[in-house]
Amino acid sequence: MPITILPPKPARPLNTSHGAHPEDGSSLSSDESDSGGGGVGLDDGDISMNLPPTTTTTKNPAHSSHAHSLVTPGESITSDPQWMRGHGTYIATDTTAITSSVAGTITRTNKLLSVRPLRARYTPEVGDLVVGRIVEVQAKRWRVDVGSTQLAALPLSAINLPGGILRKRTETDELQIRTFFAEGDLVVAEVQQLFGDGGAVLHTRSLRYGKLRNGVFVAVSGVGGGGGVVRSRRQVWTMDVAQGAGQVDVILGVNGYVWISKHVETPAELEAGGATGAGAGAGAGVGITNMEEIVSATMYSSQNDPIEVETMREIARLRGVVMALVENGLRVDEDMVVKGYHEAVEMALASADGPEDVYLGDERGQQLAAALTGL
Amino acid sequence: MASSQHVLLSPAELAYLHASLSLIPPIRPDGRSPTQFRPLVAETGILPGTNGSARICFADGTEAIVGVKAEVERTALRPGEDTIYLEEGGLEGGDDGEEGSSEDKRKGDASWVEMTVEIPGLRDDDSGTAFLSAMLSEALLADGEFARRLWINRRFHWKLYLDIILISPPLSYPLPLLSLTTHLALLSTRLPRLKSEGDEDPFFDDDWAAAPYLFPRSSETSAHTTTSTTSTSTRPPITLLVMAVANNIIFDPSKEELAVADAALAVSVTSTSSHTTTADADPIRQAQAQEQEEKEGRNLRLLSIRTIDPPSRLTPPGVANAANAAYGASLGASGQQPQQQQQKSTAVVPVMASETEAVEGVWRPPRGGAKRAVLGALVQKVLEGGGVVDEVLDALEGVDLG
Repeated sequence: MPITILPPKPARPLNTSHGAHPEDGSSLSSDESDSGGGGVGLDDGDISMNLPPTTTTTKNPAHSSHAHSLVTPGESITSDPQWMRGHGTYIATDTTAITSSVAGTITRTNKLLSVRPLRARYTPEVGDLVVGRIVEVQAKRWRVDVGSTQLAALPLSAINLPGGILRKRTETDELQIRTFFAEGDLVVAEVQQLFGDGGAVLHTRSLRYGKLRNGVFVAVSGVGGGGGVVRSRRQVWTMDVAQGAGQVDVILGVNGYVWISKHVETPAELEAGGATGAGAGAGAGVGITNMEEIVSATMYSSQNDPIEVETMREIARLRGVVMALVENGLRVDEDMVVKGYHEAVEMALASADGPEDVYLGDERGQQLAAALTGL
Repeated sequence: MASSQHVLLSPAELAYLHASLSLIPPIRPDGRSPTQFRPLVAETGILPGTNGSARICFADGTEAIVGVKAEVERTALRPGEDTIYLEEGGLEGGDDGEEGSSEDKRKGDASWVEMTVEIPGLRDDDSGTAFLSAMLSEALLADGEFARRLWINRRFHWKLYLDIILISPPLSYPLPLLSLTTHLALLSTRLPRLKSEGDEDPFFDDDWAAAPYLFPRSSETSAHTTTSTTSTSTRPPITLLVMAVANNIIFDPSKEELAVADAALAVSVTSTSSHTTTADADPIRQAQAQEQEEKEGRNLRLLSIRTIDPPSRLTPPGVANAANAAYGASLGASGQQPQQQQQKSTAVVPVMASETEAVEGVWRPPRGGAKRAVLGALVQKVLEGGGVVDEVLDALEGVDLG
């Protein structure tokens, strides 16, 4: 069947009296990553994290002054002075009414009223692992799209220059800045510093960071309905995939950019396996002293390694899982992706098209989401 | 030729995409089969003030609305036709004979259809928008069949305004979406039933329920055949985006897939049940008329073909490791100066070679035109009997015209 055309779904009631929608619960926990900044937001986030989702959602109607928990910008939430205003709200001059400044759902934490936006851009925080795309090359830095309101900066001084971590930056490096990263390249980096206006400065001074290759990119940011990447313990992991397709790396950028690629063994792993280093031209074996140099040799490569068909298929399946999670308003983290992947493999085995069918759109995505939420 | 929008992808991504789409069968990033469309949500009759409207929403969030509005307009009489009109005016008593010989008199004009395309973030005179609107209207008007439906009598005709609005930002090349939405809107379009006869001022039935569809459904063709006597199960045209990567033909490509296309075509097809070959293809619109016998009795007719300039040609080429200064330099900088020299000197040759030779795993944008055989295969695949177009038309017909 090359095409499926569905009738539109009936509009979901905005807020039923006891409507504990699973989406609402996940939106609360997932939006933390997007909008949770500052002291109040963190405080807020802790509470909604500790509470089970149902408890949090039933709290919304408890705020009885509003029939709907969904508010639009400019909508007055309450004029009762007992409430304090939190994120996403403001008090207009000459009034005492707390007014929403974004479109989103009202959340209440003790006496604090805040509005969680339905869709928000990524707010960088120091230490976040992000996946970004170079959009501009300047004299001494790159501008990187990380899905934030502004482009992040990646200074030339914040990357591992080829030839060792301690090498001094020279004019030659400035002149050949495009040999490291050019427009369009994807990088995985860490937020090093924040400007006052919310702009971020990135760095790639770690062997785990650098240019991305051997895989596919998915952007799950900017999606409403509560899905998205959640800040979690592990944003990067390597997993074994089905069909004997080896291992696949998944990088979940906190900014909602996801990279799924074939796992390439690092020189350290190769050394453990007794193989010669990736930089065979060095002549010497890989040791702890020159490991950095050898890693950084492949750091700026834009040539893909040979990838088996099976691996490509499983990468596509993982991408489908991530998309299905997002489309069904579920959070995207290691646990969900791994579970979802195994579920998808099971589904493919059971389906008529056989295990090689990796399509997870639409109905199958819903089926997958239902299986995951039912667990 | 206006190109589709530029996408920023890294050479490594492009190489990966191209490799996975070149496999047999291809592995598409979203796991679809080569002929599979993205699932979509469709409804009609959403705009109460229009004669017909439709909304289609793709799962990725791209959404389009089309409204069709009709008004009666006086046909400008050209001097030559004027005299004919006067001559035949005397013969108006013989009204019965008109239906029989009306084939020639029912003339449509391209100016009877006005189409506007709106895409957020783009000016309405942007080349991309203008190209889209030209492509969609040329599909409608290519064979003159559509405009002929708008004929009321020799003095009046319907003027049709098609407003096509893309609500979401264009996440993928919006042509298939807009075309499918337009198709649905035209399917749901109804025009008031004509009560007056002959060339008098048109007078219409007030009863909206009695208004016939502009494109009568095949099941109801016997009920409302007042407006169209020709080819009753003719459907509005659909324009499909088809692309080729290596030896694979892929339908409804997403933005990323289009970015590695070797060739991309917008093929407009309509289905007719009439077996008369109309060889009046307008050479200006680059249209070709072809007929293809088909299993279920549906004839697919090719209306027009446009090549879409795929953004792949503008993508930056990848740099092979052998030619990458940042790749080899690290090893040389660790104290082995001669070796660096050696690498530098060898690096020059691969740079030259990479322009012409393909290195596995390195992205190389397609150069030169698309091969004739590829273009032929693309068109052949679209017109295949019982193929994708049939299923798409069937699916669109299955949408409830509320």
